[in-house]
Amino acid sequence: MPKPFKFLQQKKSLPPLLKEKDERPLSHSIEENEQTLQSIYAHCYDVVFRSFYIGGERKALLIYIEGLVDVSEMDDNMLSPLMEASALEFPEVVDLIEKKVSVGSVQEVNTFSDCISEVSSGNSLVLIDGTPKAISVGLTKWKSRSITESDAEVVVRGPREGFIEAIQVNTSMLRRRLRTPKLKLKTMEIGKYTKTQVILGYIEGIAQENLIKEVENRVQRIDVDGLIDSGELEEFIQDANYSPFPQVLSTERPDVVTANLLEGRVILIVDGSPFVLVMPVTFFSFLQIAEDYYARFMIGTLIRWLRYTFLFISLLLPSIYVALFTFHQEMIPTDLLISVASAREQTPFPALVEALLMEVTFEALREAGLRLPKQVGAAVSIVGALVIGEAAVQAGIVSSPMVIVVALTGIASFTIPRYPVSISIRVLRFPMIFLAGTLGLLGVIFGIIAIVIHLCTIRSFGVPYLSPLAPLHGDELKDVLIRAPWWTLNKRPRLTGERNTFRQSLHQQQSPEKRG
Amino acid sequence: MLEKGKISSFEMGLIMHPTIISTGILIVPSVTGKFAGKDMWLSPIWASIAGFIAILLAIALNKQYPKQTIVEYSEEILGCVLGKVVGIFIAIFYLHMNGIVLREYAEFVSGNFLLETPIFVIVGGMAFLCAMVVRAGLEVMVRTAVVFFPIVLLLLLLTVGLLLPDLEAKNIMPFMKDGIVPSIKGAYHPFSWFSEFFLITFILPFLSDRDKALKWGSISVLLVMVMMSMTNLFSVLLFGDMTSSFIYPVMSAAEYVSIAEFIEHIESMVMALWVIGVFLKVSMFHYATVLGFAQSFQLQDYRPLSLPLGLLLVGCSVWSISSLQELTDLLPVISFHLIMGQIFLPLVLLILSFIRKKRRKKSSA
Repeated sequence: MPKPFKFLQQKKSLPPLLKEKDERPLSHSIEENEQTLQSIYAHCYDVVFRSFYIGGERKALLIYIEGLVDVSEMDDNMLSPLMEASALEFPEVVDLIEKKVSVGSVQEVNTFSDCISEVSSGNSLVLIDGTPKAISVGLTKWKSRSITESDAEVVVRGPREGFIEAIQVNTSMLRRRLRTPKLKLKTMEIGKYTKTQVILGYIEGIAQENLIKEVENRVQRIDVDGLIDSGELEEFIQDANYSPFPQVLSTERPDVVTANLLEGRVILIVDGSPFVLVMPVTFFSFLQIAEDYYARFMIGTLIRWLRYTFLFISLLLPSIYVALFTFHQEMIPTDLLISVASAREQTPFPALVEALLMEVTFEALREAGLRLPKQVGAAVSIVGALVIGEAAVQAGIVSSPMVIVVALTGIASFTIPRYPVSISIRVLRFPMIFLAGTLGLLGVIFGIIAIVIHLCTIRSFGVPYLSPLAPLHGDELKDVLIRAPWWTLNKRPRLTGERNTFRQSLHQQQSPEKRG
Repeated sequence: MLEKGKISSFEMGLIMHPTIISTGILIVPSVTGKFAGKDMWLSPIWASIAGFIAILLAIALNKQYPKQTIVEYSEEILGCVLGKVVGIFIAIFYLHMNGIVLREYAEFVSGNFLLETPIFVIVGGMAFLCAMVVRAGLEVMVRTAVVFFPIVLLLLLLTVGLLLPDLEAKNIMPFMKDGIVPSIKGAYHPFSWFSEFFLITFILPFLSDRDKALKWGSISVLLVMVMMSMTNLFSVLLFGDMTSSFIYPVMSAAEYVSIAEFIEHIESMVMALWVIGVFLKVSMFHYATVLGFAQSFQLQDYRPLSLPLGLLLVGCSVWSISSLQELTDLLPVISFHLIMGQIFLPLVLLILSFIRKKRRKKSSA
């Protein structure tokens, strides 16, 4: 942690209070168990306690949470067979369950804490008199959103599925795409109260062991009382905290996750979040999208170049405008200079102030448009288009070239496909404008150098952020500078796919077989 | 070892190139032109000998002390006290030289582009960036060089490409009017620039593939030679005999660019891109300074020294020279200083180390 922020850190480390567990075993007497559980679940109206007798003789207790359990199936496949069975026939409880309950997932539970976690995760729990054991029956069923196309990552050509909030649905989407037992999905639990399920996914034999271990360690060391979204998890496990750039890729698309798994990366799925985390990543992963690989390679390459160009425009255009009109007027072609100068004649502000004013207004407009309820959205666009554009120019508050620059910058920032990087660039634009306004092009270059130094410094789980450009791996640049045709992408990226270098046989370009 | 990063020989060659060429293309054409006249494009070819000598010296010394820089092995060769003096001398030498490099840059920028900006800001901003990159370590510094190298290359190609219509082939004649001597005389200044290749002594111990150091070092020298020679040639083709009357011929050349009345006066852009080259140069020198000091005083880590020494660097560049006039007057002295520090001193060390080795063999036999 850099020194200026040291005070933010806890001085003394707290004892790991949050992981304490109730390891008391269940007792033989069902009354005792019921009392304890009742007291634990006091004032929880949705927890159902239902006593019944197995075969009319042996007392049993059913506990479940309303709304998380498929009640009709529970009645048909568990309650009625159990009530009809004769307890004498099956003196062993396990026997009874095995032979009478026609449900797929059944598990034995011994302690109170396990009981609670089973009930909380939506299983129904059966306690039987005379045994210090409970049976957890998996009859979970709850309402979830249906699978829709991702809103944040839209493609013209490519799969339309997007992840949803329910973790089981998400893993099933991955399983369907990777039908191999080598796809490993390890489950972990984070949060004292939320007990959020987090799944670590990787492909055995491709992902590197130490990477898997590192990610697992980092996740397991997290000791918090709640985990709401994968964005939170990302902040806990990333390498460089004081950086505007994201070091973990979050995506809603199962095809993107599959491709990344195949390149040896590791994923983290958080229950309740449709965004899956992919790591390690490089800066360039944020500028590549799935469709680059589905489109023809020439088109993919051209679109990539377009994106790179607009990345620079989005970062630099306002600052270069300010630098040119404040310090280096001689570089502007005379005709253009005259027309811009005449447009700027009426504006009372220096270029720096004008640029900052307009950029901040534009950012505010964008933010407002994003958060507004849909019904009032139209108002913002009218205000934005008229007041900020036309009226401001006519009133002589800003010059029309500045409006054009801001609009172009805005469009450029929308071409950056991943939202987190687009934000970083937006943020960095402001110091760049300041530098340009004070030191001209020299200031712009100072800013660029500072950004490059920073980008060269950070790593994402051991992978340098700017690789394969710096450190240079010439061979891999064909998937960065251009989008090389699929039949040349024979190797996985070196830093994540070293274990299992080749992803396809060589010479895969199929042409008609040559005849004799 | 102080530096924990590992880099490849290729990357070493890559960072050395802008280290030499960045200030090289700024002043060298003018000072070479004074002596060599129209044969000035030959001078860098003679001068590149210094580059090869410097590389060979650094590698020969490194072969004997593979894990040490000049600061450390001078102690082994010259003994504790004298060696330490030499080590500290080298660190101060690079600090001083770096101050002058920084001042060259600042004079150029403040004299041509930011006339009213205090020189302290121009120097301070650059020194801060260089101190930051050195603080981040050798690996990061080399990575920035990898990112920026194409830009430095682009700078030259851009200028040359846009100037093509203005070149006058006849300007090169007469060729070798007074024989070969003027071009060799003109090689004196570039010679000192090429001697800066000795800086690789601070990188050699941290190479992952040391056997390729000679190859990539030589390629780097050759590339610098080609580029310097090319800029000199183009200056001659553009300005003829007038070249030496400009202080910064390449920048003046950029002012001539006019394509379709749209791309005009690109000197500000050339300056901006050139600043990147200077950044790499100053960082490399600063790295040598910081590592030199840290090794002289046997510190655990060199990184904490980077920012304070950066402050000293700003001081150095402001104190050492008072004006551009003084800088051009002092240039022969500075060149002599560079050659003594980077060719003569290592040569003496190498000879002494051989003598030492022979003696040890005798005494053991």
